[in-house]
Amino acid sequence: MLDKILCIDDDPITLMLCRKVVEKVEFAKEIITVNNGEEAIHYFDRLFEEKKGNGEVAYPKLVLLDLNMPVMDGWEFLESYITKDYQNVFDSTRFIVLSSSIDPYDINRSKTYPVIGFLSKPVTKEMLENLKTQFP
Amino acid sequence: MKNNSNKITLIYVLILMFVAVVGHKLFANYFLESATESPLEYSYLKDILYIIFSGILLKIILYQNEMRNKSVFEKLQLTNIEIKESNERYDIVAKATSDTIWDWKMEDDSFIWNKGIQGVFGYKKEDVGKTSKWWFDRIHPEDSLKMSVKLYSFLEQKTEKWQDEYRFQCADGSYKYVFDRGFLVKDADGKSIRMIGAIQDVTKQKEEEQRLRLLETVITQSKDAVMITDIDTSENEIPNIIFVNSAFTDMTGYSANEVIGKSPAMFFGKRSDILEYDKLKTAVQQYKECFVETIFYKKNGKEFWVNFSMIPVTNKDGEHTHWVSIQRDVTEEKEKEKEREQLIRELTQNNKDLKQFSYITSHNLRAPLSNLTGLLNLIDDINIEDPELKEIISGFSKSTHLLNETINDLVKVIIIKDNPSIQKEKVLIKEVFENVFNQLSFLISVHKPILKIDLEDVSILEINKSYLESIFLNLLTNAIKYRAPIRQLKVTIATKVENDNLIITFKDNGIGIDLEKNKDKIFGLYQRFHNYPDSKGLGLYLVKSQVESMNGTISVSSVVGKGTTFTIVFKYT
Repeated sequence: MLDKILCIDDDPITLMLCRKVVEKVEFAKEIITVNNGEEAIHYFDRLFEEKKGNGEVAYPKLVLLDLNMPVMDGWEFLESYITKDYQNVFDSTRFIVLSSSIDPYDINRSKTYPVIGFLSKPVTKEMLENLKTQFP
Repeated sequence: MKNNSNKITLIYVLILMFVAVVGHKLFANYFLESATESPLEYSYLKDILYIIFSGILLKIILYQNEMRNKSVFEKLQLTNIEIKESNERYDIVAKATSDTIWDWKMEDDSFIWNKGIQGVFGYKKEDVGKTSKWWFDRIHPEDSLKMSVKLYSFLEQKTEKWQDEYRFQCADGSYKYVFDRGFLVKDADGKSIRMIGAIQDVTKQKEEEQRLRLLETVITQSKDAVMITDIDTSENEIPNIIFVNSAFTDMTGYSANEVIGKSPAMFFGKRSDILEYDKLKTAVQQYKECFVETIFYKKNGKEFWVNFSMIPVTNKDGEHTHWVSIQRDVTEEKEKEKEREQLIRELTQNNKDLKQFSYITSHNLRAPLSNLTGLLNLIDDINIEDPELKEIISGFSKSTHLLNETINDLVKVIIIKDNPSIQKEKVLIKEVFENVFNQLSFLISVHKPILKIDLEDVSILEINKSYLESIFLNLLTNAIKYRAPIRQLKVTIATKVENDNLIITFKDNGIGIDLEKNKDKIFGLYQRFHNYPDSKGLGLYLVKSQVESMNGTISVSSVVGKGTTFTIVFKYT
């Protein structure tokens, strides 16, 4: 079981569903939810500050990322994340794009980021069971 | 001659002497036998004197006559030489000008031709007629009336010169254009007695003239404006106009007089394309042909689009002498082109908007739908006691899944239509089938169809794998869905290679489709042929889209109650 995962989605039902399924399959102990890319960046900024202060911080090992979001969408978030060099700061964090987008362009674009998967909504138990095997 | 006159005189004297002597002797014997000698002797002497005197007289007369004859003879001789020379000269001149000369004596209608009639027109000497009729008979029927009217009016007016052009028949029946000039000879009373003419063969000139006239009509009657300029650029950068045709006047409103001597630069104006003008200027400097398209200005100041060519022309020595320019008013085409471009822009934009719209729609539909699916998945784990609620939730679940499938299919269609160049890879057809069977294992286990699969070993295709999978999945699902309930389903799938094509056939013994009725609709969007609750009318449309996106073709044959066969053909290389 993972300690902490982050769910970035503007849809509260999706977040609720996500939380329910994660609890059901005991995928993670703690699930943090934010509503868009900007909130997610702020979340990582805070973690980064803490890490600078303490030297050590518990950060999510898996991020489920939606693409279409207001304020800051998934791509902008990834750009910002890389610009801030967070992929080296939080070096064991992995991203999975969880979207209902069917634009082939999106699928190809996700391949240019440190994204380990492109999954179609909804989150299912099978999906998480499968993911579990990829994390120790 | 001189000796002759002397001889004649001497013989005359001798004969007279003889007559005188014999006469005397006879006279003396008969009448004066005894007469004295003296009177007789005297008379005898007198006779001799007379004789000598008359001899001298004769000689003088003869001499004078002789002199006169001599001078006449000399004159004749001289005339003779002159005639000979002039004859020769006439022959040479006729030869040099290659004129055919004729000589017509009107009183007895005798008509004489020189050798030209043989050389130029090919007649044999014996075939050449000797009357004016022969001449008239050989004039082209279309010309003869006009020509004879002119000739006789000339003869009436009694002017001295006559000339005309007509066609004259050759020995071989063909006609030559001739130019004939005649002179009238009159007698002392002023009556025409003779006419002499010279015929010149002008066929070549005539033909050239006709050719040129024909070529000229191209310029004068052309609907395209034609303009010719000289090559002198000392005054203007674009040389001055020396000719324009009437189409030019129609196009620009300028008459020939208004533009000749001026540079075509005068048609350029405020909104003309300066780059095009420079292009023209450079071409003129380099003696190169040039095509420009720009706005020109008419005499009334109105703008029009012109398509303008400028082509250098050379004389036969290869020297550049003129520029020929052909121009066309292309305003209408230009406007149409603009409209077309505008239309294409609008359509492209519309298309883009629609595509965007469909992505957004499908996304916005999918987002809540996926939530519904997720929530229903969660309900599955909850034990529901209330049978009514259970039924409602089951219906809710079925509807949601159907909606989900429909949207997924539509999304696939959108992706195919949007992606004309899809990724291709080497695909082993057998493998694809195995995948499909795995996905349909539940359906297959329920309906237990007889599957006869006959794949050729070389069934590797350069193709998009997921499309092929989707095609097989759809066809096989259809076969199971539309099986005939009265008999066991039998599906035969075969592949074969034929003429660089890979042919895949899908044959079932299901309920079939009435192709008579549905020929055009079978692969259409939202076409359903059977009242089955879970048929969406999308499957075959999707299959056809996928096949075609991989440059394949699909066809169908079916008999109601017997079964359906789909044949898919891909290029196999």
